Amino acid sequence: MTEKEQAISPEVFDHLVQLAALELDEQQAEYLRRELNSQLSAIRELEAIQLDPETPLASHGVPYDEHNSPALRADEWQACADVDAITRQAPQFEDGYLIVPDIPHTTLE
Amino acid sequence: MTAYETVIGLETHIQLNTLTKIFCACKADSWEDAPNTNICPVCTGLPGVLPVLNERVVEKAVLLAEAMHAEVQPISYFDRKNYFYPDLPKGFQISQFDVPIALGGYLELPIPAAADPQGKGYVTRVRIHKLHIEEDAGKTKNDGSERQVDFNRCGVPLVEMVTEPDLRTADEAAQYLLRLRQLLRWIGISEADMEKGNLRCDANVSIRPVGATHLNEKTEIKNVNSIDSVREAIRKEVERQTREVEEGNTIKAWTLEWDQDAGVLRKMRSKETEADYRYFREPDLLPLHVSDEWKRAILADFPERPLERKARFMQDYNLPEYDADILTLERGLSDYFEAAVKAYGGDPKKVSNWMMNDLLRMINEDHLDPAAMRLTPQYLAELLKLVDAGTINMTTGKALLPQIQESGKAPARLVEEQGLAQVRDDAAIRAVCEQIIAASPDEVAAYRGGKDSLMGWFVGQVMREMRGKADAKLAKEVLTELLK
Amino acid sequence: MELCDLSAVEVRDLLFEKKVSAVEVLEACLARIDAVDGRPGTLDPGPETEEDTRRVHAFITRTPELARAQAEAVDKKIAAGEDPGPLAGIPFTVKDIFCVKDTPSTAASRILANFNAPYTATAVERLQAADALTLGKVNLDEFTYGSSSESSAFQPSPRNPWDTSRVPGGSSGGSAASVAAGEAFLSLGTDTAGSIRQPAAFCGVVGLKPTYGRVSRYGLIAFGSSLDCPGPLARSAKDAALMLKAMAGADPRDATAATLDVPDYLAALEKEVKGKRIGLSPDYFQITFPQANGEYSQQPVPEEMRAAVLHAVDIYRALGAEIIEDVPMPNTRYGIPVYFVISRVEAASNLHRYDGVKYGYRTQQAVGELKDLYRKSRGEGFGLQPKLRILMGMYVSAAQYSEQYYRRALRVRTLIRRDFEEAFDPQGKYRLDALLTPTTPTSAFPIKDVYGDSVLMQYADQLTVPANHAGVPGISFPAGFGADGLPIGLQLLGPDYSEATLLQLTHAYEQASAGAEWRAKRPAVLEVH
Repeated sequence: MTEKEQAISPEVFDHLVQLAALELDEQQAEYLRRELNSQLSAIRELEAIQLDPETPLASHGVPYDEHNSPALRADEWQACADVDAITRQAPQFEDGYLIVPDIPHTTLE
Repeated sequence: MTAYETVIGLETHIQLNTLTKIFCACKADSWEDAPNTNICPVCTGLPGVLPVLNERVVEKAVLLAEAMHAEVQPISYFDRKNYFYPDLPKGFQISQFDVPIALGGYLELPIPAAADPQGKGYVTRVRIHKLHIEEDAGKTKNDGSERQVDFNRCGVPLVEMVTEPDLRTADEAAQYLLRLRQLLRWIGISEADMEKGNLRCDANVSIRPVGATHLNEKTEIKNVNSIDSVREAIRKEVERQTREVEEGNTIKAWTLEWDQDAGVLRKMRSKETEADYRYFREPDLLPLHVSDEWKRAILADFPERPLERKARFMQDYNLPEYDADILTLERGLSDYFEAAVKAYGGDPKKVSNWMMNDLLRMINEDHLDPAAMRLTPQYLAELLKLVDAGTINMTTGKALLPQIQESGKAPARLVEEQGLAQVRDDAAIRAVCEQIIAASPDEVAAYRGGKDSLMGWFVGQVMREMRGKADAKLAKEVLTELLK
Repeated sequence: MELCDLSAVEVRDLLFEKKVSAVEVLEACLARIDAVDGRPGTLDPGPETEEDTRRVHAFITRTPELARAQAEAVDKKIAAGEDPGPLAGIPFTVKDIFCVKDTPSTAASRILANFNAPYTATAVERLQAADALTLGKVNLDEFTYGSSSESSAFQPSPRNPWDTSRVPGGSSGGSAASVAAGEAFLSLGTDTAGSIRQPAAFCGVVGLKPTYGRVSRYGLIAFGSSLDCPGPLARSAKDAALMLKAMAGADPRDATAATLDVPDYLAALEKEVKGKRIGLSPDYFQITFPQANGEYSQQPVPEEMRAAVLHAVDIYRALGAEIIEDVPMPNTRYGIPVYFVISRVEAASNLHRYDGVKYGYRTQQAVGELKDLYRKSRGEGFGLQPKLRILMGMYVSAAQYSEQYYRRALRVRTLIRRDFEEAFDPQGKYRLDALLTPTTPTSAFPIKDVYGDSVLMQYADQLTVPANHAGVPGISFPAGFGADGLPIGLQLLGPDYSEATLLQLTHAYEQASAGAEWRAKRPAVLEVH
């Protein structure tokens, strides 16, 4: 595959990595970009399919109707039995709060 | 100098007052709770959990759609809006995107004279673009160089309602929020308390030369938590944009945050484009079907809207606009009024007067719910009838209001128990009048000397002597005769 | 033959007849684990030893104390004359992608290595409520992303009990290996593209992917939420039926769990095969392979796979089934490309929550601001396969590409579904009760042979993935051995909620082939031992 045929250029790749909030070393980045382009060429097989634009999107394979769809939830309160077991998992938890580093802001003049 | 007009669109987030959250069984309202105590695996996005939709959320959203004249969609979908933020435990918000629960609609907005630059008052119609259901995020707050995260609010049900860019002044924006708040409480779907964040508002603001029809780049003001702040923040932003444009600068699509304490706008992250959210159908939830049958059941008791009721009060009961407006500010109050009018059968304006002058003060001072008062509309009507019949006078009547509320006893019973019926016996009144005249030679002389205004004083003396129970009209007739 | 090599149904009967105790059954499994499993996977394995290469390494976390307490409770119940649950005393393993309360639930990833689930997945809860014994959590590809189990962050990764130089398949590799080696009677796996059926085929066991929504996904750490199906791995159709019955059904915590009644799968096994319509499709006898030059070539499945299918056809025909040939399934070949899109979009979103804030791994490096924390925690916590899926998911669902890729893929998914609807339509041309196919294009491949080539690895799923797109159930069952001495699996696919039929047909094949010579073969790890 030539550099030109690679839809996911280093620039596109860097943008994806930013969006994905991933820090990668060079070796990882090289492997991942190569595999992405290789997968993308497999995906491109789909472009050749003649599709009726009316073909519906299938979000699920199995259809849901009144026979198999669960009812919505009744508005009934049930307190969680063990809240501590949830907050105990947090890497940093102080005074009842999860703690994260600051998010920078700018003030307008 | 170019004259500019302001173009404002509002995105309101309305917390629904369901008992539980949208996708789990935690409480929706945790205003009083310690941080991170009203949580469970589902609303904190633990690995492996799944959302299950609360049916009351759909019902309340349908009520709101009806109130806004919006069209409820028979099938709508939930989508994931993906982004990273510490108050969003799953890293995506479950929302609705391209096919939301309701589309279109409008709100008629009467702008009072005080908010009209022309000083006349007018009515404008704000179109609604769409209403969608989504889950609320948690809260974060700064603590030095760190940020504290509280998940209690995660998963509280919201309806996001987006207007078309139809608002033209900061005052119109404020009026929109006032009327929306009234409506939300009227149909009982939200507490709509902005200070508590039950009703939140983001304002999209841009300016353009007067007469232009295009839309310029806009900024989005977030985190405004009172109606006054919305007005103030928009004014500030319009001033800033005008200044920038006049200096030849361009307006950038910033997201601004309103700092209530400092009264300034701060720039948040540069606005992400929608493309970055990568919306897609939430595979963990099925499409939402609102059948005609279900919709009919939800709307079976749908009330008359406040502005419609106001107009009807003016039409049917001949109320002045001022009275009609106040009596329809709150649904319970307007129901009270109407029930009292029906029970009374006399002049509705009289009922209005009593309510506006006396009842409203009691309600406001003691935070009473009109629907739950022991002083029922029927008792108010009965009281008015007693006054009309001359059984008691108006002063006695008004003094009885708090007593009825306190005791829950019927007005007639209180009048009887306390012997408050007016004395209408000519002889008894005549005796007291004679006694007063005998005891007040100076005043009699002055009256006879032409100081007619003393009549009021004489009547007052008679009333005092008879502990307010005398028929004042009769007393005046007797006094006039005796003082001739 | 030891106690742990019997079937679950046999052990259950012995237990009810008080011929063995649950503790004895458990001890047999624990002894087998000691003998063949070797060390469990860890984040910090050090160098691979020669012994490592001869062991199964099915586990990440073993919970013998929990299992013993459960076994003692079962024995007490039986002694007291109470009715124990339908899975009483049967030891099972859980793919470590399910949350089990107070047990590490790692998803075979560094990012969840220290996560202790505060709740138990519905499927596990139901198995436990049926009095099954929880042996522990078994290894898999990281977040289930793979077809060989090699991508686990917990090494050594599982090996194939029939030949430990081969992969057990994946992602439910630990599940299939633990059942094949007699460490457990049953295992709870998941299938998103074939992750139950492919390792079942590679390890010579039965693996059933139920209809989407037949078994609750609550507590299953999500990969492709519209594709994921929890399901049983077992050594026979009967055992799979027993297990499925215990865990299937509606769940108020899963809005996609179907509300249909759960049939008695065990009772259905004995029904007649006569009159069943079993289809063969030419589209399941050819495979597409990406070549080194980037081109794709189509070639027929290996002759021994075809022969195994034809042998099964003979068996079914002899039992009175009708065989319908040349059933067109023309969109089968798009299963993998469609999967590359849909599963990645869902996976990228599902992996958003791992950010070093709420649970799991947080970077130890100093971070200046929040974004830094995210990037470093995720960069260090995820292995290559999750990263690859995140990036692909981000790409194909970006607004400017979504129509071209994501939305197009969802439309092609509709076409794949229609292939099945036409084949199974009771008023249609084919009116199939099931479609019979090979499960995999090859037998178990050597360790490290395919790993790293994400495209080739994905194509290992091409005969199984269409059922995930369509949501229909599928079962893989052992059908002999290839010339390489490795198991061959056959697959039956059926209409929505037809698990009973698939189990019945599998059972019929097992009965008919019970006397075959290959049935007596035992996994190599047991022969050595």
